[in-house]
Amino acid sequence: METLNNMLYGFQVVLTFQNILFVFIGVLAGTLIGMLPGLGPISAIAIMIPLSYGMDPASALILMAGVYYGAVFGGSTSSILLNAPGISGTVATSFDGYPLAKQGKAGKALAIAAICSFAGGTISVVALMLVAPIMADFAVSFGPTEYFALMLLGLTAIASLSEGSTTKALISATFGLIIATIGIDQQTGTQRFTFGNPNLLEGIDFLIIALGLFALAEVCSLILTRKKKMFEGDQSVGSLKITRSEAKEISGPIARHSVLGFILGVLPGAGATIASFMSYLSEKKISKDPSSFGKGNIKGLAAPETSNNAATSGAFVPLLTLGIPGSGTTAVLLGALLVVGVQPGPLMLTDHPDVFWGVIASMYLGNVFLLILNLPLIPFIAKILYIPKALLISLVIVFCMIGVYGVSFSTFDLYLLLGFGVLGYLMRMFSFPAAPLILAFILGGMMEQSFRQALTISNGNYGVFSESPVTVSLLVISLFSLTFPILKGKLSKKGNLNNNNDLSA
Amino acid sequence: MFNKRSLLFSLVLVIALVLSACGSNQSSGNSGNNGNDGQATDDWKPEKPIEVIAPAGAGGGWDTTARTVSKVMEQTNIIDKRLAVVNKPGGGGAVGWAYVDKKGGNHTLFVTSPPILFVPLNGQSDLGHNDFTPIAGVIADYAAFVVSADSPYNNMNDLIEALKEDPQSISVVGDSAPGSMDHMQFVKAVKAGGVDVKRLKYVSAQDGSGMSMLLGGKVDVYSTGLAEATEQARAGKVKVLAITAPEPLEGETVSEFKTLKEQGIDDQFVVWRGFMGPKDMDPEAVAYYENAIKEMMETDEWKEQRDNFGWNDNYMSSEEFKKFLDEEYKTMEELMNEVGLKK
Repeated sequence: METLNNMLYGFQVVLTFQNILFVFIGVLAGTLIGMLPGLGPISAIAIMIPLSYGMDPASALILMAGVYYGAVFGGSTSSILLNAPGISGTVATSFDGYPLAKQGKAGKALAIAAICSFAGGTISVVALMLVAPIMADFAVSFGPTEYFALMLLGLTAIASLSEGSTTKALISATFGLIIATIGIDQQTGTQRFTFGNPNLLEGIDFLIIALGLFALAEVCSLILTRKKKMFEGDQSVGSLKITRSEAKEISGPIARHSVLGFILGVLPGAGATIASFMSYLSEKKISKDPSSFGKGNIKGLAAPETSNNAATSGAFVPLLTLGIPGSGTTAVLLGALLVVGVQPGPLMLTDHPDVFWGVIASMYLGNVFLLILNLPLIPFIAKILYIPKALLISLVIVFCMIGVYGVSFSTFDLYLLLGFGVLGYLMRMFSFPAAPLILAFILGGMMEQSFRQALTISNGNYGVFSESPVTVSLLVISLFSLTFPILKGKLSKKGNLNNNNDLSA
Repeated sequence: MFNKRSLLFSLVLVIALVLSACGSNQSSGNSGNNGNDGQATDDWKPEKPIEVIAPAGAGGGWDTTARTVSKVMEQTNIIDKRLAVVNKPGGGGAVGWAYVDKKGGNHTLFVTSPPILFVPLNGQSDLGHNDFTPIAGVIADYAAFVVSADSPYNNMNDLIEALKEDPQSISVVGDSAPGSMDHMQFVKAVKAGGVDVKRLKYVSAQDGSGMSMLLGGKVDVYSTGLAEATEQARAGKVKVLAITAPEPLEGETVSEFKTLKEQGIDDQFVVWRGFMGPKDMDPEAVAYYENAIKEMMETDEWKEQRDNFGWNDNYMSSEEFKKFLDEEYKTMEELMNEVGLKK
């Protein structure tokens, strides 16, 4: 009852002409920023901070939160159409979204992405409203050992990301781990593999690798095969309609990954990127037909798209209940709160209930706006695919460059981007999968730091990894995840000998 | 109808918009020529937009300071040219400093704070505070040492006694690298209390998870800034053992925090922020910016913003700033030699 009253209060805050307008402007700006490869919500929000000075605190946060989840919503578009992830949270979206577009089902892919984003966003806002205060304790319960075990669990799934040779997937992943060690080591302050170049001191940005390995590598192969048609099914956008059986097929992933995404979003340090990867991997693991993943499976599109939007709402839990930012974007949002005179912290719910409930209520409205905004636009946006290939290729290159330069203002990063583009193309030529590299890069850095933090705290005693039940369970699941495919392989061989596939039962 | 041509046109338009947005951020970057382009008269005035470098990504302390000062300057018309904030992240500041050094001239400033001393001492930058011209100190913040509400330590001396007994039994977390600010402010304070600082256990949590590690009971002490600690203390989630201000602070909640000196530990640490320019900046230009900053700090617009962020005014003239930096550098150099982190 109390939640209902609070929510009504939240809607009272939001349903003024001014605030509805702010929600709309926020999500519109967010969608556009998200669509452009590279440009993410962090810089957009940071630039808006001085402008929000003097604004009503609730309005300011409603506006900026809109930019944040709007960008995650819109980021899938360029992942699906161009294989160029709009933001880091939508890299996993391209794994199955782009193959769908290539098969002439761009319209359907975009519609599924929009619906899953809406569902993930809305379900997780309900969760945010109901359990935010309870989840606050959960958010701080994760320490170095728990993060280490979580990242390890993600890494064990690498082999499953390979389409052909597992060995090549592992080589690719190892390379990702190596790249993750570049930069100043956080625990000792020592430089590693920087070759004295100050541009490498902070390591390589995730987006540079993602855009290089996916977008530019794709561009390379498009240039070399330019005589062929870019898309099968004579460049049609295809129908937007989702059939009843397809709707049934994606309802499972939506239910699963709005929960998983929300939980991972709550953990400071995990966030939308890790959530989307974990969702993609787990959906593939439990799928009856894992080999169709990466070739345009709609479940493989629905899982990360639901998850990244759910994680966005999850990230508001530590921010609103504890005043702890869980990600780069929420850290900037925290700065925005200061500008408008709100001290973010555990007392925000009592001191500024209008901000707390207003933002939550605005997210319901924002998600509806995003759906209305995006669905009718799909046929127009998807027409990007009708652009002549020569022009499209140049546009993708330009957008990738702008995206990378817009984050760091560094020409060095542009060379890196080109380098990763060439690497990505070579990897394709020799059929090394790129996904394990990017996954190992993103998980590896955090895994190493958590591992060493845990050992520093325990004075080098490995027993620390068996102290927390969460850590132990995650480690056990990792072990299962690693050994299960091997056992399964052995069992199914036996089954084949018996000339009866009893495993499918 | 939505035809090919109109789509093309709109795409070109989007690109043009993006480019011009990037361009305006960078506008002064293109027109900059090296050397002394100001007139050598007493009343030097900027002739073109001024580039204010934040040597870090968007949203951090340097970026916020740069954007706030630039906004108040433009609002109050103290400087009638545009002050464009440009982010140059990388290397804990080293990339931005190298940029300013290369650019030179009278139309480039940057925001700076203690890392300009720590990062060169760590061997991560060839450029240090002596390679730039101090213009003015602007604000001050203080460090706070925090434990969780159920910690056995109730004041700084409890903690220091425990550290004297066994430095390895207590883990300290901070949001920056070893040898940088969060680490060294703690080292400096407990050294003044007589602890053997060579054996301290410091955990670096650079994704900003320090506070959640403390609240989750994973570490014992969090070395952080005053602002981060205040709200958590007000909610009763943490205890602030000590702050590094020279004198007790005024204001709700913060007045309850004991300084190191009040607890008999002879130490203080100011997290200052100010502006510097390239080495070759004309003295007239330095005087111009120095006065502009002084004037800005007296406006109501500035005072309101400053209070929202919880900053304290800490104006230093160019000369005072330089002297202060030299002294700080010496103290830190000795300290880092002692813990074996100087490179």
